[in-house]
Amino acid sequence: MKNEIWLETKKPIDLKDPIAVVGSPGLGSIGKLVVDELIEKSKAELTTNLYSTHFPVVYHTKPAYLAHYALPGIGGVKVEKQKWGLPKVKFFTKTPSLILVNGYHANFAGAYEIAEKVVDILQNFGVKRIIITAGFGSKENKVCCAATNLNLIHEMKEKYNVETEYQGPFYGFCGLVFGAAKLKGIEAISLFAGVEPKLGDPEFLAKDSATMIVDILKQMLDFS
Amino acid sequence: MNVEIKTLKKFTPKEFTLISGLPGIAYIGKLSVEYLVQQLKAEQVAEIYSKYFPPYTLIKKDGVVELLKNELFQYKDNNKDLAFLSGNAQAFSPEGQFEVVEAILDWGVAHGLKKIYSIAAFASDKTIKNPIVYGTSTDSKLLEDFKKLGVVPLEEGVIVGENGLIMGLAKKKNIPAVCLLGETKGYQTPTGQYLIDAKAAKEVIGVLTKILDLKVNMNPLDKQAKDMDEIIAKMTEVERHIKNQIAQNTKRPSYVT
Repeated sequence: MKNEIWLETKKPIDLKDPIAVVGSPGLGSIGKLVVDELIEKSKAELTTNLYSTHFPVVYHTKPAYLAHYALPGIGGVKVEKQKWGLPKVKFFTKTPSLILVNGYHANFAGAYEIAEKVVDILQNFGVKRIIITAGFGSKENKVCCAATNLNLIHEMKEKYNVETEYQGPFYGFCGLVFGAAKLKGIEAISLFAGVEPKLGDPEFLAKDSATMIVDILKQMLDFS
Repeated sequence: MNVEIKTLKKFTPKEFTLISGLPGIAYIGKLSVEYLVQQLKAEQVAEIYSKYFPPYTLIKKDGVVELLKNELFQYKDNNKDLAFLSGNAQAFSPEGQFEVVEAILDWGVAHGLKKIYSIAAFASDKTIKNPIVYGTSTDSKLLEDFKKLGVVPLEEGVIVGENGLIMGLAKKKNIPAVCLLGETKGYQTPTGQYLIDAKAAKEVIGVLTKILDLKVNMNPLDKQAKDMDEIIAKMTEVERHIKNQIAQNTKRPSYVT
């Protein structure tokens, strides 16, 4: 196939200085739960889909986000609520200034390129700040942060009382979107909610941990 | 783009030698190059990004995110120009390793690359008191000066990853290259992380500084190497203890029923 990544525009977008919140399935499915809840609460509309030949529907890695060059997975379609479709990254928007990105883990061959493409799209939408949401392995129910620069970390401490704590690798769609944002000079903050990993079921639904991030986002986005 | 070399500073030598050490067994290459960069106050000239690096980012202690990357540094004195290559990752797949190394060599050739010294590890099962530095090269004559400094020609083996591949692809481009391998036990933590072998790195740096006529303060590395000695002594003791236990468990029972 000629195009490895392609877009489908569902509706025109007209936003003013938007902020993007990004999440994907991962540890405790926290990022996905956060974005799903914000979509529901804000009644944001699906405006763009991003498709790729690098999106498997069956992963040979577990968790899915541990991409490996020798394990590309299997392509196919997904069926949800009796509707089928190709796997995709979905962009939802809510006027005047909110973009919500429901991410999807690519395989090794496309992981970096898709993250860069997502950041390019957000840049084209005029986004100046990206907020990434994810989970980190912890016995404590708390939220910590990371950012593309130290000023943002100070801002998170002073304004929202969120400290840094997690250090180490950040895998998958969200980790690479975070890195691509830094590379392209876009401000990005990541909020990590502590969650105790479940052996054999890394992507279980950690709703309480997701709610902790939603509560902080309500303050950050001035959103009720 | 598969491999992107982002220029941070102009690098315009007439010709230069590249010293390369990417993370691998016991971090000997990475530590050796980063130690020289630090001691010589070499300046960063470029960053290398690739879609072939492992697909994750790193959150540092201060909370700032960092992409996986390789870095190029320059150092100049009255009679030579050097460039150093290190970083926090190697390409993950064989195809990626070839492509990243090709890109680095193309960058080098465009800037006057004349010789390469690559640093890697020689993993050994033996008890190591004074690590040997092994050597191999694109042309056996190149090793002669190294042999005078105690470097032992590598008889056989594989040099895994970009630290080996850079020599292989240098030969294809007619660039003379030597690979120095520091002997190490390659101890790993329970999570599979290699312990940094400063003792082996010190031996490799000792050889390189003589070959390149560099004056480098070795005191900080001496301290690190001493700490490594203590760790190795503890690990050896643990190994001995485990071997004894296994031997006891496999003893024949002293009775029969």
